[in-house]
Amino acid sequence: MTDEQLDHLIRDADPYRAIGLGHLDGARQSLLEEIMSEPPQPRFALRHRLARRSAVVVAAAAVLVALLPMAFVAGGRGWHEENGSNVATVEETAATPGPIDAAAAKEAAEKMPRLLVREDGWTIVHVYGFRDGDGSGDISFQKGTLLLDMNWYRAESYDSYYQDRLQVSAPEAGGIVGWTGKVFTYSDNDFAIMLTPRDDVFVELRLQGAGVTRAVFDEILTHVEQVDVDTWLAAMPADVITPDRISAKADELLADIPLPPGFDKSDLDGAGTNDAYQFGAAVTGLVGCEWIAEWTRADRAGDDAARKRAAEALTSSHQWKVLNDMNAEGDWPEVFWELADKVADGDVPSTYKDWIGCK
Amino acid sequence: MTSAIDHEDRFRRVYADHFEALLAYAIRRVDRPEDASDIVAETFLVAWRRVREIPPDTEAKLWLYGVARRVLANHHRGDQRRDRLGDRLRQRLTGGPAVDPGTEVPDRLVVRAALARLGELDREVLTLTVWDGLEPREVATVLGVNAAAVRTRLSRARGRLRELIGDERASSGHVLDVLTRLIPEEGR
Repeated sequence: MTDEQLDHLIRDADPYRAIGLGHLDGARQSLLEEIMSEPPQPRFALRHRLARRSAVVVAAAAVLVALLPMAFVAGGRGWHEENGSNVATVEETAATPGPIDAAAAKEAAEKMPRLLVREDGWTIVHVYGFRDGDGSGDISFQKGTLLLDMNWYRAESYDSYYQDRLQVSAPEAGGIVGWTGKVFTYSDNDFAIMLTPRDDVFVELRLQGAGVTRAVFDEILTHVEQVDVDTWLAAMPADVITPDRISAKADELLADIPLPPGFDKSDLDGAGTNDAYQFGAAVTGLVGCEWIAEWTRADRAGDDAARKRAAEALTSSHQWKVLNDMNAEGDWPEVFWELADKVADGDVPSTYKDWIGCK
Repeated sequence: MTSAIDHEDRFRRVYADHFEALLAYAIRRVDRPEDASDIVAETFLVAWRRVREIPPDTEAKLWLYGVARRVLANHHRGDQRRDRLGDRLRQRLTGGPAVDPGTEVPDRLVVRAALARLGELDREVLTLTVWDGLEPREVATVLGVNAAAVRTRLSRARGRLRELIGDERASSGHVLDVLTRLIPEEGR
């Protein structure tokens, strides 16, 4: 038996040959969507905010909402620059009108341990999430070329992530003060630590940048401390929209935006703590979703005047200050405008809710 | 900013380009075809979470094979399914026309039984070469050995398989007539 003949026999015994792929139908695409609806690497963790579908533009929207963040470098303040004058207390947060009971909100917030880098020179350059009871959020600190990302996940997904990280490298012991974890080595200058689940969440911290070594990583971790919610909120730069700033900031952003019928800005109360870009996306997303819903309602009802008003409102988004301000930082505005123009032209994409995160 | 879009698009391309190869790889190495959905789902989930680490061009496929191999090892160790990903794919592989009974002729079962008796590395070298169509250099990358070692093992594995097929055939009293019939059909 020659090699060729033997290989033929082996090939003929291939278990895969008898199984066609034609009957998979949409299972292949479905799996892709399932996978991409999960937050990928820490730097991209915000993408879970919007489910992704097949349209590239949808992906663009989700990604760009997620990744904008560096705009804070210029205006942000390190935690040490805060002295309490602008401290947002949990009581203030809870006093904000909204559907969440104050005591419950405080309890939920306190359940999510917060971390800060307690060393001079670090600036908060990005923050997103930390909604009450949500169990997820992320924040990035920058110092020179160093970037320290912290991502919060629900504890229930710890095992999945841990198994995944085992394929990055062998785990090594590590931790921050009072909280142990496992260190994984992505490369010679890229390290991460998964802190063990605590209070229904776990946190992953990843340090990247020039000159990073394991020793540098470990040293920086000695400056990472768990703090209470009040302290954490007080450390946010002035540009970050903490819960106590949501109402005023929403008024500012909505000043030149036509509001849909029945619009209630208190729907933004649960937005958590976000940088300006993320909050701008939240505000315009809410307005956009409601205008599209109104356009759809009017169209079905044959209410031409209402449909025209909705179309004009959406078209006017090209002039909204907040979107134009955001446009220099990322592509959320571009995606919003593309969708707005489509709807104004009578074309409501079947997946429009995914484009800008409509409920 | 654009790099994020690049990563997203890159993952879609990697998925589109290599889904079928990975599914085939998984189906060949699990006991039940539907279990392949777990392997494929887990492999691409790892790829998604490490999208920035996926190497360019053809190396991406080998990188995915490497991930799939580790996922498969966990699967064989009896790890619990960690995610509910891929349920639809699992249903399709379970409910579809899985294996044509007519294809399960004894010859194939004999060959599979012989393959199962090879050492793991020899079997992987042989099946990655013949079933998955990888070159020795590519097999070497997936298995983490050098290409020369792959060529040596490939030769040895073929020799060992010949012996085993002979043993299986002798023990079953079966004649591998499919060999003499199929070669002319493929124009060799």
